Amino acid sequence: MAVAAFGQLNLDESPLWGSRSIECFEKLEQIGEGTYGQVYMARDKQTGEIVALKKIRMDNEKEGFPITAIREIKILKKLQHENVIKLLEIVTSQGPEEDEPEKLGIDSNKYKGNIYMVFEYMDHDLTGLADRPGLRFTIPQIKCYMKQLLTGLHYCHINQVLHRDIKGSNLLIDNEGNLKLADFGLARSFSGDHNANLTNRVITLWYRPPELLLGATKYGPAVDMWSVGCIFAELLFGKPILPGKNEPEQLNKIFELCGTPDEINWPGVSKIPWYSKFKPARPMKRRVREVFRHFDRHALDLLDKMLNLDPSQRICAKDALDGEYFWTDPLPCDPRSLPKYESSHEFQTKKKRQQQRQNEEMAKRHKLQHPQQHSRLPPIQQPGHSQHWGGSTHQMSNSQPAISAVAGHHQFGKPRGTGGSNRYPPGGNPGGVYYQDRGAQGGGYSSGAYPPQGRAPPFPGSGLAPSGPRGPSGGYGGPPNYSQSGQYGGSGAGRGSNQMSGNRNQQYGWQQ
Amino acid sequence: MAANFWISSQYKELLDQEEVDVVHQLDKERGITLDDFKLIKLHMSNYVARLAQNVKVRQRVVATAITYMRRVYVRRSMTEYDPRLVAPTCLYLASKAEESTVQARLLVFYIKKLYSDEKYKYEIKDILDMEMKVLEALNYYLVVYHPYRSLAQFLQDASMNDATQLTWGLINDTYKMDLILIHPPHLITLACIYIASVLKDKETTAWFEELRVDMNVVKNIAMEILDYYDGHRSISDERVNAAMSKLAGR
Repeated sequence: MAVAAFGQLNLDESPLWGSRSIECFEKLEQIGEGTYGQVYMARDKQTGEIVALKKIRMDNEKEGFPITAIREIKILKKLQHENVIKLLEIVTSQGPEEDEPEKLGIDSNKYKGNIYMVFEYMDHDLTGLADRPGLRFTIPQIKCYMKQLLTGLHYCHINQVLHRDIKGSNLLIDNEGNLKLADFGLARSFSGDHNANLTNRVITLWYRPPELLLGATKYGPAVDMWSVGCIFAELLFGKPILPGKNEPEQLNKIFELCGTPDEINWPGVSKIPWYSKFKPARPMKRRVREVFRHFDRHALDLLDKMLNLDPSQRICAKDALDGEYFWTDPLPCDPRSLPKYESSHEFQTKKKRQQQRQNEEMAKRHKLQHPQQHSRLPPIQQPGHSQHWGGSTHQMSNSQPAISAVAGHHQFGKPRGTGGSNRYPPGGNPGGVYYQDRGAQGGGYSSGAYPPQGRAPPFPGSGLAPSGPRGPSGGYGGPPNYSQSGQYGGSGAGRGSNQMSGNRNQQYGWQQ
Repeated sequence: MAANFWISSQYKELLDQEEVDVVHQLDKERGITLDDFKLIKLHMSNYVARLAQNVKVRQRVVATAITYMRRVYVRRSMTEYDPRLVAPTCLYLASKAEESTVQARLLVFYIKKLYSDEKYKYEIKDILDMEMKVLEALNYYLVVYHPYRSLAQFLQDASMNDATQLTWGLINDTYKMDLILIHPPHLITLACIYIASVLKDKETTAWFEELRVDMNVVKNIAMEILDYYDGHRSISDERVNAAMSKLAGR
């Protein structure tokens, strides 16, 4: 039976019947863009509360209210946990809105209006935060985020919900250091017996487990745990560990890292639909412990268990939380002890707000001029999106891998480079197998974004080089792409100087 | 299933019988009495079940659809929300919410097949439009906890596995009433088990005593169910038609 905390009654919920209108909110700016519609940051006109509005696009729906939205709403209304994003309410617009002038002419009978999901506003997402120039996570901080991620996921899993899109940009973080799972657009309830056939075309490719890539349609919570393993390794390693360009390459990368599956290390693997199709010609050895040998022992033990090829042997969230890693020094820190990366809204003066509005306008215009910016989102393999990257490898190697787009959006009108922030190898080499990279570049990573854990002081307390640890000399050979360097560059270690950066720049979890 | 009933909106919004038995002012003006109101909801519950049989969805979808329909009429009038459209729309929405999607055109096809009456005739567009209104009326609360869920466990525990069929049927019938809006689902289950044990002459007193539930409530629910069975005999097509005829025409 489900376990959920008692005493979480929301007795003072907004109106119990009938939904409020979008008119109750003042849209401040767009903070996300996806196939389903846009995400806005907005202010509740009554309470002044800042929220995020996720639009559910209703046009072109032959089957009425989209089932994906129904799933998301159902699941979010059921899950009430401090590490799961809170759906505050749902609001509707009765007719065309101010920002949709093109719709004013449409026959009002045909026009269905929009539906918005209202979420609590979160300041960052994990990828955006990790991508901030000049920022390095401490080990206690990484433990703290991982612990929250696993706690939230454990809650989902015991409540029989699979998230199915765990990745950095879907893990939202507020300035209290709280991490919350967001974007349940691909999530589903599952029955305990794993007998239902589910689609295997879920989870962003880089975080997708081998069983899905091999075509399994019966699966369970272990799929999310693989993604957690990828994120965990990414936090420690400094960049995505399995950046495949397409499904076969993704599998290949997994095999190169985790070895090839066979009936011994993964009983039953040969019965998975596409096993024989993707079976590599020659067997490969598992190299997780070798590749990540710089990680501390407990981290490596945990990671090894998360990146188990066989989903039935893969560690579950609960056991991961019980792992030595979270119970040995340095212990996970208290979320509230984490540095605040932004001045919060309270601190912002009226003047700043005005400027913000101006900048917003600029950003909007900027976006109009560069609509293609949005295409650099993390690859998600959904039917219909495959063109983003199923095709030529060129496309990918010329543009940055998607996640780094985080800081790329609203630059408050500042001139900016085309690349967005970049902690990935720019151009040229992204397809390379990463440990070949390693060999070729020697200690490249130690001068790069994230020094291997344990070598460098984990926190830049002693002051950073002016260019920050992600600076131009990152060892990747590419030019620094983020324009923010001007903004932050000279400020050295001062976190406080980051006041305006990531807040609006964040990707917000729900775009796909 | 996720979270649990005790923190759900269903629990928070359980109603009293008196709150459910309110005929909307607009409906009153059309001469619809409380009896009519109940009859129409009963008739529509049967309609949902018939449609569901044709489009082949499981019982749980039917149960959810009927619950939606009954929730809608706690706040909305039948005058504005024609039950003959709301009922199939609720089935349509429930089929999505319960992961057994039924295409709107299939529903429309079977509606036409089952009812030649013009008043039942609705097109896909009507259903899709009503879906939005129903969603709003439900305030997007789509999760329903049903009495079926705890049934197997209870029966096993009470060593009454042979009464599964009977109890299941009793639970099905509870959807012809508003019980699901008024009582926590597990108490409805227990009431049905209680009735089944009496019918099957099983001694369950000790088992019920061990449960930490208020047996008075369980027995009251059981009485309501039995009352319904008694009253059901007097329901005739004429009475149903008379009530339905008070609804607005189109």
